[in-house]
Amino acid sequence: MDNYNNYNSFSGSGGGGFMPGETNSPSGGKAGDRDNKTLRPVTVKQVADASQPYPEANYQIDGADVANVLFVGQVRNISSQSTNITYKIDDGTGEVEVKKWVDSATADSMDTDEGKAPADGKSEVELNGYARVFGAIKSFGNKRYIGAHSVRPLTNINELHCHILEATAVHLFFTRGPPGGPGAGANAATGDAVMGGADEYGAGQNRALMSMSPLAKKIYNLLKTDPQDETGLHMQQIASKLNLPATDVARAGEELLGAGVIFSTMDEQTWAILEY
Amino acid sequence: MSLQTPRILPAHLNAFHPSSSGPRSTHTVRILGTVTALRGDTATIACGTNGDVTLILKPDSHLQMGKLVEVVGKVADLEGGQGLGIRVLGTTDWGNPADCDYKIYEQVVEATHRFKSIFYDAE
Repeated sequence: MDNYNNYNSFSGSGGGGFMPGETNSPSGGKAGDRDNKTLRPVTVKQVADASQPYPEANYQIDGADVANVLFVGQVRNISSQSTNITYKIDDGTGEVEVKKWVDSATADSMDTDEGKAPADGKSEVELNGYARVFGAIKSFGNKRYIGAHSVRPLTNINELHCHILEATAVHLFFTRGPPGGPGAGANAATGDAVMGGADEYGAGQNRALMSMSPLAKKIYNLLKTDPQDETGLHMQQIASKLNLPATDVARAGEELLGAGVIFSTMDEQTWAILEY
Repeated sequence: MSLQTPRILPAHLNAFHPSSSGPRSTHTVRILGTVTALRGDTATIACGTNGDVTLILKPDSHLQMGKLVEVVGKVADLEGGQGLGIRVLGTTDWGNPADCDYKIYEQVVEATHRFKSIFYDAE
């Protein structure tokens, strides 16, 4: 009976008090994971330099949360275990361990169905050959590694070079803002202080623009630079100036209206930049 | 810190030579070129329109004439005061040079050194 009571009180108060705290933080973190579906091209050095604001938090590179990373490097070691294959990947900026869990279902199909084998890539990644890795940054103890979703061989050198340039472009995007934007010069002056304290409203609009389609950005720039009166430009005018179908312009306009960077003036189809 | 091997062009050899100013942590570099001459223990690669580099080979280096190779090696002095070359640590065969747009590689090298914080530690 005593035992039973003890158990009861434990689960009643101790357990009850514990539960909310427990569920809040991990689910909070998970929610962030779910919202952040980005797959970021990086260098191994960026993985090594990635910071964690607090233990168990998402890793950050250039001040932005990273969910999944993508990189290319040479395979320096392959060690096959029963549950996983561990690769050591060197991309010239550093080395990192990559763990790919062995999926028994795929392993089986590989034995029987050779046609589907390349999807796993297990047999094709060669020692000292190049591989493209896609996975999440994990840590075990003090050691950082990549929990890989996919490790596949890379044979075209242009893909390697393209990746490096892509990683650089994304790094610059996060440290200096989008290319060509007014913020590009201003933010560069503040160094790598990322996206933090917005120094001007223009930067805020810029940030809204960052995630938009190229066409939307084009229209925004036209509205910004083209001489016009306070009523702005009509959709048809924009379409003829940019030499684009009106339907495309309308769609991109919706995007800009939705983000609140432009507003309609005379009628639904006449837009001007919303300055605030 | 693990080994870092910045990608370079022939023009950068001086900057990565052990005698160059500053206690640079790495003299190990990567370079890309087409094999144009094999002379037993040395070889020459042509780096697009950026000139040639002499390689000091390892006994087990397997280079083939006319192939595009990526070389990882240390910047070193050539025998007889013939300038700088690279002592090979490893090579990767990339096959036909026509399959690689060398202009992209030049941009990669440019980006590597201009935005070095994501590629290598300067000191």
